Amino acid sequence: MSAGVGVDLENLWIRFGDFVAVRDANVNINGGEFFSFLGPSGCGKTTILRAVSGFLDPSEGNVLIGGKNMKGIGPNKRPTALIFQNLALFPLMKIWENITFSMEIKGASAAQRRKRADELLDMIALPGQGDKLPSELSGGQRQRVAIARALCAEPDVLLLDEPLSALDLKLRQHMRTELREIQQRVGITFIYITHDQGEALTMSDSIAVMRAGVIDQIADGKTIYNDPNTAFAASFVGENNVFRGKVKKVMDNEVLISTNRSGDLVARVSTANQGKMSEGDAAMMFIRPEAFTIAPTGAAGDHFVTARVNHEEFEGNAFNIFTEGEGGKEIKVSIPNHGQSFEDHTGQNITLEYETRNAVAVPAGELAAE
Amino acid sequence: MNTSFLRISIWVYLAIFFAYLLGPLVIMSVTAFNSSGFPRMSPWECLTFQWFGELFQDQRILNGIKNSLIIGAGTVALSVAMGLAGALMLTQIWPKLRATYYTIIIAPILIPGVVLGISTLVFWDRINRMLGLGADSFLSNGIFLTVIGQSTFIASYCMLVLVARLQRYDMALTEAALDLGATHAQAFRKIMLPFMRPAIASAAVLAFLASFENYNTTTFTFGEYPTLTIELAQKVRYGITPAISALAFIIVALTVFFALLNEAKLKRQELVAAARKEATVEELAGKIKLPSFFAGNMAAVLLVVFAVATITVVGTATAYNPAQCIADVREQKQLEAEQRIQELRKQREERRKQQEAQEAEQGEAQSAPKPSNNSGFGNVFAPNSLGGDGDDGASDTESEPSNNSGFGGVFDPNSLQSDQ
Amino acid sequence: MPGFLKEFFNRNGIGMGAAILGFVLFWTIGLIILPQLSMLDFSFRPNLPPPEIGGPKDVYTLENYKYLVFGPEGGSQDYNTVDLRVFFRTLVAAVCVTIFNLIICYPIAYYLGQTEGSHIRIFAIMLIIPYWINEILRAFALRIIFGETGVLNTLFVGLGIWDVPFDFIRNDIALYAGLGYAYILLMIFPMYNVIESLDRNQIEAARDLGAPWWRIHWRVVIPYAKPGISSGCTMVFMLSAGALAAPQILGGPSSLWFTQLIYQQFNDNNDWPQGAAYAIVLLVTCILFVLAVMRLFKVNMGDIGK
Repeated sequence: MSAGVGVDLENLWIRFGDFVAVRDANVNINGGEFFSFLGPSGCGKTTILRAVSGFLDPSEGNVLIGGKNMKGIGPNKRPTALIFQNLALFPLMKIWENITFSMEIKGASAAQRRKRADELLDMIALPGQGDKLPSELSGGQRQRVAIARALCAEPDVLLLDEPLSALDLKLRQHMRTELREIQQRVGITFIYITHDQGEALTMSDSIAVMRAGVIDQIADGKTIYNDPNTAFAASFVGENNVFRGKVKKVMDNEVLISTNRSGDLVARVSTANQGKMSEGDAAMMFIRPEAFTIAPTGAAGDHFVTARVNHEEFEGNAFNIFTEGEGGKEIKVSIPNHGQSFEDHTGQNITLEYETRNAVAVPAGELAAE
Repeated sequence: MNTSFLRISIWVYLAIFFAYLLGPLVIMSVTAFNSSGFPRMSPWECLTFQWFGELFQDQRILNGIKNSLIIGAGTVALSVAMGLAGALMLTQIWPKLRATYYTIIIAPILIPGVVLGISTLVFWDRINRMLGLGADSFLSNGIFLTVIGQSTFIASYCMLVLVARLQRYDMALTEAALDLGATHAQAFRKIMLPFMRPAIASAAVLAFLASFENYNTTTFTFGEYPTLTIELAQKVRYGITPAISALAFIIVALTVFFALLNEAKLKRQELVAAARKEATVEELAGKIKLPSFFAGNMAAVLLVVFAVATITVVGTATAYNPAQCIADVREQKQLEAEQRIQELRKQREERRKQQEAQEAEQGEAQSAPKPSNNSGFGNVFAPNSLGGDGDDGASDTESEPSNNSGFGGVFDPNSLQSDQ
Repeated sequence: MPGFLKEFFNRNGIGMGAAILGFVLFWTIGLIILPQLSMLDFSFRPNLPPPEIGGPKDVYTLENYKYLVFGPEGGSQDYNTVDLRVFFRTLVAAVCVTIFNLIICYPIAYYLGQTEGSHIRIFAIMLIIPYWINEILRAFALRIIFGETGVLNTLFVGLGIWDVPFDFIRNDIALYAGLGYAYILLMIFPMYNVIESLDRNQIEAARDLGAPWWRIHWRVVIPYAKPGISSGCTMVFMLSAGALAAPQILGGPSSLWFTQLIYQQFNDNNDWPQGAAYAIVLLVTCILFVLAVMRLFKVNMGDIGK
């Protein structure tokens, strides 16, 4: 299997009538990378995948695979293999026939196909199951067969369209590890579509966060989590508390934001927005629940938030405190459980403290829907 | 009390309903074995297989069957292809056109067959003229016109059957095949066609049967190639013989046979699938222990019973000779006829005597039919049926003379001749 | 539209796409639309011998339609009473046959749709088998039964219920029984399909609330089954109004069906335009009637054929 074939999207636009599904996407995916498109349903990520696999013609722009423009090349001629959301295993074919379908098309003999099927079945840890029908396998087994079938075509790029969404939670978590392992073993480029940030974060080398046809940010998982470009990226990936306000003062890479409810707070400007925020701009700042600590009562300053506690819950690894926030939305605070004593604050005012590097400011923008 | 009454009335209703539905077919089938020259259940004369022999010697029927088969094959091919194309189009047509398109392709089911026949005839006749072709061209050929005319509406039936299955087809399967390197034609042949195969088979059977039994459309388009149905209609309109019953019996038997066969096959597939589900890996790789063909399969058992019964009947037919019985019946009929003739003569004699007293000659012609019946048209048959309910032996003999005077009687002399 | 076509070919491939489009166009335009238009056009033309077709005499005329209403020109009567009577009698009889079928088939469809058990499959096969038998043979079977020496007459006269055989054929009873018999399945199947999908719990719930059985049907089952009922009724009405075999075989010598008039125009009088005009009248009247009734009962066209 040839490793290291990259995929590039250049100024890609895809329209359906008046509706713009993908707006000017520019993405460079390196060869051998595990790349995820992360976004809520309807954001256009599946459309991008279909354009890469050749089922859809871009309205404008180009798809390049291994540097070669794919315009006018049908899905059956592209070096890609797609794993469908519902897997699309051929129901009337046995497992081994399913896996080696691409060889059948090329005219390989039954013996050759059987041999290859056995190898791949060993690889996906389903030895000897080749004579079953897809309906006779479990969900996770079918999942692995779909991967084997795609790999049998020896693609340069494997495209996966939310392949884990039909599985139950436990199996999903198990398959994440397995997919990552397979990718590292075969070394080809994986393009993965998901709306589950946990999947994207655990498996990917790079993630593109998408919103309504637009790519907000392309980076590795850590960067996306810690240094989001936009309000959407900040609110979509992981849990986050939002504070709205206006920029009061710009100090190098930090800003003082006069928030609507919590007074003036200081925050670090996210890397992509440095130098772009000026006084008077509408801004949003994000602080993760685990970034807060409880400060002694009465402490005040630009990195303290005082709020009334609505309720608390114990989650095992953490205590969660919910305080009154903006517009009926609560601020969530997560205190790790080290076995320390923990008093109930319900109904009381508490003061929360954070470090400036853990508060990220971005220009005001659309938030991810809950 | 109340529910049991309800249950009984349901069963009574079902019994009446199915008697209405199946009774005519049973009665018609039975008449094929009665030696009476007019298809009837009673009076029962003799068990005979002669009508089957007669059927197979009827050149027009045989020719009709041949034409029906040719036209049926053409119609199946054309209407399944059009129905499949129509169904595929329906699943992916532009939504705004969908309702109009559906109305157009479903309309032929509702358009009277007569109208379809006429429009086909008129349209292709016009095309033929526009192309400057003669009356014997391909476009005015009866087989071509009939296939075209029948396919117009049979394709709609096929489309309905196929679209039902197509709606369960996951288009992602075709895409998956394309993605794995197949061409569109390969994806169609290797993935969609196998999935559609059961529906295509049903559609083909449906199309063939619909073509085989079509009358309304075909009657305008058949030209030089009358189908079996057309021939049957001619025969039935101008006179009915038990040979038609014999044909009906064969068709009923074949239909029952294939219905049972199909049912047995379906049941077996179910059982096999169930067995596979429970099979272990090793069993799947090597041999699966399948249940025997008959286990839990009512239809299969019925099928065997039916086949044995058919073989028995055919066996009997070759061995059985009803000549003696028919001869007896004829003898009795002749006796009866002679009796009647003598009676007639006697009566005529008496009349003549009476008339001679008044005037001669004139009334003779009129008085001839009178003695056997009253003069009303319906009453012609009265003696026969009245006799039928009387004592059995006599009833057989009595029936013949009355038959001579009724509309069915036209055929009796013929059949008597063919017997000899 | 070109965008739609391009997508169509993208999705199906050039070869497959062309095959699909070709068959669909041939069917819809070549077999359905053009022949009907051609017949419509033909019905407005005079009956000419072939050499004169397209000649100066070949002009549009309403003559063929006038004939149906007023009869031959200079005829003794003001209206073509014979043909008009046949026409209306056909429509009324078709409606009667439809209602008759609906009444006898509804209980069966309900029973088959709401009962479970292996005997239902057997019933279904018993329902379908007669339908596979040739229409002509089915009519023939009824003629054996209803004939003057047929089973029914033999039976009833034999039992002493009637003194003389009853002439079923001349009184059209055989014809109506035959038409009803021919289309039973077309009435049952659409109703069965719908009723089968009715959740049994709904009926249980209605019964639980104390509704009598007729009210359950009136308020729950029939409204639910309306698409099936209308579908079945439409098919039975259209097919019986357009039936030809049953009237030819089971009709009495004097009782003509409108299709028989059409048949006569074509085959006996050799007057194709006249026959085409009659066919158009039959088709248009039937469609308008069906649409009107569907309007009356608030049913959609899309429900037909399901």
